[in-house]
Amino acid sequence: MKKFLAILLTLAMVFTLVACGVSTETETPASSGEATEVAAGGIRLFNGKIEIAEPLNHAAEVYEAATGKHVEVESLGGGVDLQATLKQYYQAGNMPDIFVFEGAPDLANWTGMVVDMSDQDWAKDTDAGFTSEDGLVGFPYTTEAIGLAYNKSILEAAGVDPASITGPESMKAAFEAIDAKKDELGITAVIGYCANATELYWSTGQHLFGQYLDAGLDRDDTTYFDLMMNEGKLDTERFTHFAEMVDLFNHYSDPALLISGNYDMQVSGFAAGKYAFVTQGSWIGSSLTNQYKDQYAAAGNFECGYVPYCFEEGIDTILTNAPSHWAVYKDGNVSEAEAFLNWLAGPDGQQIMVQEAGCVSPFKSCTVVANDPFAAPVSEYAAAGKTSSWHWMGQPSNMAQDGTGAIFQDFAMGNEDVASFVEAMASVIPDFVK
Amino acid sequence: MNEINSGKKILSLVLLIAGVVLMIAALWMDFTKTYLVINLGSTKLAFRGMFLVLGALFVLAGLYYIPTVLHHRAIINFIFLFPLLFTFAVTVIIPMFVGFFYSFTDWNGVSFSRMVGFENYAAMFKEPAFIWSLLLTILFVVVNMILVNLVAFLLALLCTTKLKGVGFFRAAYFLPNLIGGIVLGYIWQFIFSNVLTTILNSPYSALANTNTAFMAIIVVYIWQYAGYIMLIYVNGLATVPKDVLEAAQIDGANEIKTLFQIKIPMIAATFTICTFLTLTSAFKQFDVNLALTNGVGTVRNFMGSRLSNGTQMIALNIYNTAFARDQYGYAQAKAILFFIILACVSLIQVRISNKREVEM
Repeated sequence: MKKFLAILLTLAMVFTLVACGVSTETETPASSGEATEVAAGGIRLFNGKIEIAEPLNHAAEVYEAATGKHVEVESLGGGVDLQATLKQYYQAGNMPDIFVFEGAPDLANWTGMVVDMSDQDWAKDTDAGFTSEDGLVGFPYTTEAIGLAYNKSILEAAGVDPASITGPESMKAAFEAIDAKKDELGITAVIGYCANATELYWSTGQHLFGQYLDAGLDRDDTTYFDLMMNEGKLDTERFTHFAEMVDLFNHYSDPALLISGNYDMQVSGFAAGKYAFVTQGSWIGSSLTNQYKDQYAAAGNFECGYVPYCFEEGIDTILTNAPSHWAVYKDGNVSEAEAFLNWLAGPDGQQIMVQEAGCVSPFKSCTVVANDPFAAPVSEYAAAGKTSSWHWMGQPSNMAQDGTGAIFQDFAMGNEDVASFVEAMASVIPDFVK
Repeated sequence: MNEINSGKKILSLVLLIAGVVLMIAALWMDFTKTYLVINLGSTKLAFRGMFLVLGALFVLAGLYYIPTVLHHRAIINFIFLFPLLFTFAVTVIIPMFVGFFYSFTDWNGVSFSRMVGFENYAAMFKEPAFIWSLLLTILFVVVNMILVNLVAFLLALLCTTKLKGVGFFRAAYFLPNLIGGIVLGYIWQFIFSNVLTTILNSPYSALANTNTAFMAIIVVYIWQYAGYIMLIYVNGLATVPKDVLEAAQIDGANEIKTLFQIKIPMIAATFTICTFLTLTSAFKQFDVNLALTNGVGTVRNFMGSRLSNGTQMIALNIYNTAFARDQYGYAQAKAILFFIILACVSLIQVRISNKREVEM
């Protein structure tokens, strides 16, 4: 009897162990795409923009209904280190067929592992694709813009014409005019600018700093970017003008927000009509109409627009670019992935991407306009050809977090003046680009 | 007798061979990426994992049936220990050796192009930001080892008196330790950035300035950790024998004398445990650091350069080197230095503490 029991138990254990072995086995190839028989027909998309997870899932459903091909959308974001997650997938043999990357530093990890898509139909329809030494490897799925966003209602009430802001003097005059009527307009501060280096180093050290690199330049002009990357230098004259503009922001920003605020405070404050200007790009449009729609409605669903960060007379461009691109993994299901991207760039896909996801289409043939407060002004700048590129994406990936972001904060705290801010930035940058 | 033995011999041999063959087959499938897949309607059966597990079981069974009296006990011991050894090897030993290897490469998390020898190890001593992190961590450890133990011991004394509601206080002091460090960091960030600035009417929070931000981390860390250490001290104090205390009382020792001459020497072992715990955990401080300041802080001039990572502890520095800079190999080298320091400090600390216990 005892022996029988022992044997029974052993058998049960063996069975469970083997069962475990089998079940993991069936899962792994299904997601890794190595065993083609199991993975056939399906592709997996690794999306880094959690905000558009729902519309993307919908797009995948529509695509499956139309073609019978399954697309699994995996959306991550909101503080998740995407590249680190991707590397884990790579180590585990679990790479998605399409994955997201931001700029050249990210892509450098995947050199030789991504597919050149220059022969695809969508490639002829856009200039926003990402080109590396491997060819045209980045599919643009949206366009974002960085300019000095304003609340049209407040500007009108204050009697300031946004078109009059064309340089440092006119910007200062506009700020003074609004500041003088602050109580009358019921606003907290002229500008919602936040230099908190813990929370918003990316806003100051990347987006705002990007204005120094690109504002007013042609899309392919890399003068200041090259000067920084090759020689570790800043153009002192241009950067001093830029610093004077930041000084103006420091002066006219909400003190509660400036150093110890965070992104939510900044965007919700703008949505609630507390600030006439805000130093965030077009991505806050969807926050205004979704996350903060109550505050936004209470503030009268005001119209938004952009003025350039004109720290020098004559700067008349805002910075637009695809914020990140999608690459196709070479050892994945390449043909199916390319077919899906082509569909997404076509009319059916763009309908969903623009109207539901609120993306500004990077494709010339697209005629749909998003229902987003910033879609129209961005399209206007694009149509007038007054856009510059986002070369800041090529700066060393930790420069803002470990270097420049904190200096913007010091400047805001009053620990630095214009001259010493310029000096500090110039002294830190060589540590990162060498 | 002989017949049984020969029967066992054959059985054991067959099992061993079958097991080894199955395991090799599984590994072969893994390396060559050939999969044996059987389609069973909706479910698909693949055999790689099954082969590996069955093979391992056969080998173990074969070992069990080896007809030997001399080594039988050793084999049984091995079979019983095997699951533990295997798990330990897979999760600790093998990764450690792989890590050592990677620290000599320029690995970026995906691939590496060359072996760099000791370049990574040399580079970290030329990086002011890393040296700063290392020194800051040592300062943090020293300050915390003293303060956490002091606060925890005082709390423990308070919680072993005959006050009313002692149980409530014990639970209340222990509670912060149950909250995860990240959550705790964000809660305190809110307190420093929004609550304290309003109360003190200051233009910016303590977290914006390197010195005060460092103190803020210390405060939060003590708040989180003192309750946990307190519980250990409470337990220690409870083990002090009553008769000794009574004897001291009869001899006329007052409270303070009893504390320093009787209680503290009696719980020397508890001090060892507590200093060891605070030391290692303060060294490894990461989550509160990440959530509270993310390492930000300006140091105007350190080794001739301006630093922006004024409050970055060594663990966060390693993390950023790997994940923000994509220098996994370099980060691995830093991690190994960290490991060596931690191992040395712990060994010395335990040795010193043990010596003191013997003398008592």
